[in-house]
Amino acid sequence: MLMTESLKKLDSVTFGSFLQDQRPLTQDPPTFDLRGYGLVTPAAVVQLAAICCGVSGQGRTPLILTEEGPARRYLVRCGFAAVVSEYARIEPAIGRLGTLGYQYRRGSSPMLVELTRIESGSALPELLDRVLWTLRYRLKYRKRDAFDVTTAVSEICQNTFDHNRGAAGFIAMQVYGKDTRRFLEVAVSDYGEGLGATLRRNPLNASVRTDMDAIQQATKLGTSEHDDPTRGTGLFHLLEITYKHEGTVQITSGRAKVRYRMDKRAGWGFSVPKVLGVHVSLTLPTKEAA
Amino acid sequence: MERRIALGEHGPHLWTRETARNIRVEFDPILEGLEEGGALVIDTKGVEVFDYSFANELFGRTILSIPREYPGRFVLVENLSKYARENLTKALEGMGLAMMERKGKAIGLIGKVHPTDQQTFAAVAKAGRSLTSSELAEKLEVNLNAMNERLSKLLGLGLIRRERATSPSGREQYEYSTFQ
Repeated sequence: MLMTESLKKLDSVTFGSFLQDQRPLTQDPPTFDLRGYGLVTPAAVVQLAAICCGVSGQGRTPLILTEEGPARRYLVRCGFAAVVSEYARIEPAIGRLGTLGYQYRRGSSPMLVELTRIESGSALPELLDRVLWTLRYRLKYRKRDAFDVTTAVSEICQNTFDHNRGAAGFIAMQVYGKDTRRFLEVAVSDYGEGLGATLRRNPLNASVRTDMDAIQQATKLGTSEHDDPTRGTGLFHLLEITYKHEGTVQITSGRAKVRYRMDKRAGWGFSVPKVLGVHVSLTLPTKEAA
Repeated sequence: MERRIALGEHGPHLWTRETARNIRVEFDPILEGLEEGGALVIDTKGVEVFDYSFANELFGRTILSIPREYPGRFVLVENLSKYARENLTKALEGMGLAMMERKGKAIGLIGKVHPTDQQTFAAVAKAGRSLTSSELAEKLEVNLNAMNERLSKLLGLGLIRRERATSPSGREQYEYSTFQ
């Protein structure tokens, strides 16, 4: 199906303005209005899931407004509706997947890893093996490229559990785009304290004052919550891998977002409405073997 | 004397710091049982890939513990796949560490290795016996202070060991050697 101009896109770039415009957390109940959206990406669904989960932990039940169309079908197809049903109410209510039409189960872009709640660090190796398998055998990646991407995903996911106490994470992975412009997007979000609060637990990071400082500092080698030479390398290596594969990484924490375009090896900072947790999305050109 | 750990028994893909922590538990009793001059050999045959966090926890933390907790013992890695070597090298560089890698009978260094470290380590390894810093300084044509600094760095990384000895003239001196 061709996208029409009138349908809006909710992705890693537009999520900040979505929150800015709707101010969902100031409403009672917190309301996310997805009506009018035609395309939703993994970066947006994991962030939305993490926010819903965090808000629910504060005793409020978020409301997600949808309408019949591609966005609502995507929420079902990517697993969002099933995962988030514990913490949020979707309106109109979505029935069981088995009772829904064929178009709810099939989309133009393959969902490689459905939205998954990661409960603890011990669940990661199995999930990462699944990511590796998917890259190797569904997308036909060369071994080396598949290892690189899985290593990057591992480092992002581990940040969630290394630096958050009692906050789970969410992950989703999908390929989208056509022909030579096909991208693999992996997104990981949590609803913990965020990078600034985490880094400031280490007195060596006393100079970290703003959320923007925190993101930029966290991607430097050796910056960690822990005063430990074996720590503080994950996000640095993530950027190195992204640079190697000419992709982009976006990190959002607190009131800041930094988008690293690794073809230019530079990051651009933006102010965003305050969000819970840390949200990382990695977008790489696909590497299917010829 | 050497004791081996077969990392491949834990699977071909080793992800996460937590996994490494669980494996590293096996290392302590082995290192405790080693005599000075002995080595823990980490055999990575069958391991295709590990991530940086795994490498930091398993290799980095073990290397850092050697000079402090198990002085005079060594840690070696062998049978690294191409990709595992790449990740281990980057992980070690990120931590400012180096370690011994054995390929066949030859032992070299991987990680953050300055050419002078490589040169000094190679001279100690090639000698096949313990050497004093004066002997090494003479061999590599550097002054004694510079040699002592080089040796101190290698000692701090657990790549060589130091023993007290007596010179032919009866003076107390240190002699340096590595795992053979």
